[in-house]
Amino acid sequence: MGSSEEEYIAFEEKVSRTVYFDNLSPQVTESVIRTALDQFATVKNVKFIPNYIGPSNLPKCALVEFDSTKKAKEIISMVMGYPFMMSGSPRPVRARHAVMEMFDDRPVKPNRKLMVRWLEPSDPDFQVAKEIKKLTRKHAAEIQFMHKLQLAEEEKLSRQQEDTLKLHYKKFKLIDGIMADKTAHRLARKYNLRVTDE
Amino acid sequence: MSEGGEKVIEFEWGTRRGVGGRKKDVQFYESFSYDGVEYSLYDSVFLYKEGEPHHFIGKIIKIWETSDKSKKVKILWYFRPSEILNFLEGSETLHNELFLAAGEGEGLVNVNPLEAIAGKCNVVCISKDSRNPYPSDEEVQLAEFVFYRFFDVGKCKILDNIDNGIAGIEVKNIFNNLDSQKLVGLVKPGLDKKEVNGNFIASNEAVALLSQKNSQPLIEKPDGKCFDTLVRENADSKILLGKNSTCSIGVKDASKPTNALHTITNYKTMPPAKVEENGSCKVSLDKQKSSNKLSHGSRASLEMGETTKMDDRRKNVSTDKKVVMSRVDLEIDDFYDVGAPVRKVNKGFAEEKASKKGKHGSFGMASSVKLNNKVQNRRFILYDDDDNDDTVKAVAPSSSKDKCKHQRDSCDVEELPSKKLKIDKKPTKLTSDKLCKESSTISPNVEHKLDFRPMEVTQRPDVDRSKWFKEIPWEEKMETAHEQGKLVLLQNIDPSLSASDVQNIIWTGFKESCTAKMIQKTAYSSPHSGQAVAIFRKKEAAESVVRKLDEGCFLMSNGRPLVGSIGVPSFPEKKPIFYGHHVVDQLRMMQMQREMKDAVSTSHCSQPNNIEYEMSIEWCLLQERESKSWRKLYQRQGEELSKLRAKLKSKV
Repeated sequence: MGSSEEEYIAFEEKVSRTVYFDNLSPQVTESVIRTALDQFATVKNVKFIPNYIGPSNLPKCALVEFDSTKKAKEIISMVMGYPFMMSGSPRPVRARHAVMEMFDDRPVKPNRKLMVRWLEPSDPDFQVAKEIKKLTRKHAAEIQFMHKLQLAEEEKLSRQQEDTLKLHYKKFKLIDGIMADKTAHRLARKYNLRVTDE
Repeated sequence: MSEGGEKVIEFEWGTRRGVGGRKKDVQFYESFSYDGVEYSLYDSVFLYKEGEPHHFIGKIIKIWETSDKSKKVKILWYFRPSEILNFLEGSETLHNELFLAAGEGEGLVNVNPLEAIAGKCNVVCISKDSRNPYPSDEEVQLAEFVFYRFFDVGKCKILDNIDNGIAGIEVKNIFNNLDSQKLVGLVKPGLDKKEVNGNFIASNEAVALLSQKNSQPLIEKPDGKCFDTLVRENADSKILLGKNSTCSIGVKDASKPTNALHTITNYKTMPPAKVEENGSCKVSLDKQKSSNKLSHGSRASLEMGETTKMDDRRKNVSTDKKVVMSRVDLEIDDFYDVGAPVRKVNKGFAEEKASKKGKHGSFGMASSVKLNNKVQNRRFILYDDDDNDDTVKAVAPSSSKDKCKHQRDSCDVEELPSKKLKIDKKPTKLTSDKLCKESSTISPNVEHKLDFRPMEVTQRPDVDRSKWFKEIPWEEKMETAHEQGKLVLLQNIDPSLSASDVQNIIWTGFKESCTAKMIQKTAYSSPHSGQAVAIFRKKEAAESVVRKLDEGCFLMSNGRPLVGSIGVPSFPEKKPIFYGHHVVDQLRMMQMQREMKDAVSTSHCSQPNNIEYEMSIEWCLLQERESKSWRKLYQRQGEELSKLRAKLKSKV
């Protein structure tokens, strides 16, 4: 028991030094994260959270372990304060403190007893338990739906921004174009205006 | 004196405090009643200013009436997180958290006309400072706002602690005092203050009595609470005196405190005394002719279950967490010495005590074991081990008496009514015959039928099997398992369980071994329950488990029925779509190359001077909206779940 307690405490400590990132693009690999965050703090370990049951298009999440809790906190406050991009813009990544449940290799909580029991069909609790089971399934379905909605929203925003971007780019190109081939200057001379070169 | 004017708002001064001012014409007060609500010094109130969308929240630190009869209050401000966003530095805030102004400078206090007050505000201080009487969970739930941090207006920084007072008021008036409990209890101002406080004292004292031997967190509460009650009662009296006098109240009202005790005590691991108890238990059981064998004797933590006859009392006290033994100390002098098994033989009584780790050497034994063949009811007490505030729960007696009869010829208990004072939900503590229970697990009757008794989750045997195989990566395992139909998705698991816990649970319940992996929690996962993926040895095993889980109800701790289904894993697509990263087409080729080469230059914080920043802010906004909707969804789900769980009468 003693050693598992120590294990547990050591693990908790590790959790406090770890930062959870999500909204990561699929192009982000471990090395990208390392290089990106090495500017701010020493990265000890990077682990991606696999997505086994969610919808397959969810952005990736990763757990990054730093060498001290203080650094972890600083990183979090920085990423939350300023939009931080990794491997592409403008969607920023999001950072949070890690919690125990984010790790799948977490040790058993020491000194805890678990009890289980089969309920008999005649037990009034049986019905209640059945209700709870149904509710759990319902909740799971709700969560799936929510994911779908979320992805739809993201797609919408993304398209909107793409369109705006294209538009802006076209405008800039246009302006650049007329400056470059002196159309602007000719017109300016005709109308007696001044073209200010920037 | 009432206010005049078109709209007559009722007003009345309360206790005077003294006079002051240059010409001694300013009268200070301690309390007043305005529009039917009574306000006192150091209350938290809403203030309203025309045109502002939100109320301001502040603490009254001075009340007075000037010579020209205008009433003023000096307000110490609370900041909402939105007001000090820039200084939060990314730290998380609770949705109803406030920050009390501290330090010196502008924005600390303001003098306002008393008429600006728009109502009382229930702000609870949840600071872990030793000087703060820590509120109960109920109070925190009922609170409109909470605070535990301070904002220094001079240094523009968040502070976690303050040493001395703020703006000339002492620390004790900053933290909670018993009056805030009055608010919680919705006590009308007319009620006798003393009486109200008296009740609280009683419960507090009992807690204090207990806490003296118990873990750290408790000590703060009673001390603080007692302290403040007395300060309230007589402003000048010192705490110590008062505490002693209230001690007696506490002991007398033993019934009340026990409830409070129930809600407040924490449990740690099993006291070593328990191990001794097992030893003595064994000794006492030797004389019984029982065919019990210890099948899982190795586990150090003991599970005490016992048969008793409890006709009318199915005491099922709910707890939320996992279960271990714990005992509630109802009265200090009422220790029953466990070490004397002989005594037990003739008298049995159910009682419970809470004991801290090793602090209490004795604990009551619930009953004696007799050598009948008649088994009445069986009950297991499952104790909560975790950091929660609930107590022991008893599991419903097994209904299959016949089965029990076979299994425990010797485990019979005669139960005497509890000697303890009546408490509403008194769990019964049953000592075991652990041997009895063990025997049941190996009894032939259980093999093919569902065993309806609560079972301790035991370690799965041959855990180390096939260690000499090189481990295949989990994803491959999952894929093959899925193809072969051996993959099961388990839901509604307590989020704090780990993979080996799940494996053991499956073993205990179904006698099937599997490899499990917990689904890792992400920002979108439900905080209420966790999920796991389990791979069984054979397809039939997986199917039978799923079927059994579907037809029957397999209850885990905290009233969680396990939900299982054939798992359909989702694998990442070859070319996943990711929304939000834009590249202008023409520049795409150039950018991609650059990205591949140099992650640093493409990973950056966006500066507020370009279009990228604006777009990223839009994404931030979307992310925030998403988190909020997830939060709301989970909140609702949590409420639905807890409503149903509350209906469960017996919990494992």
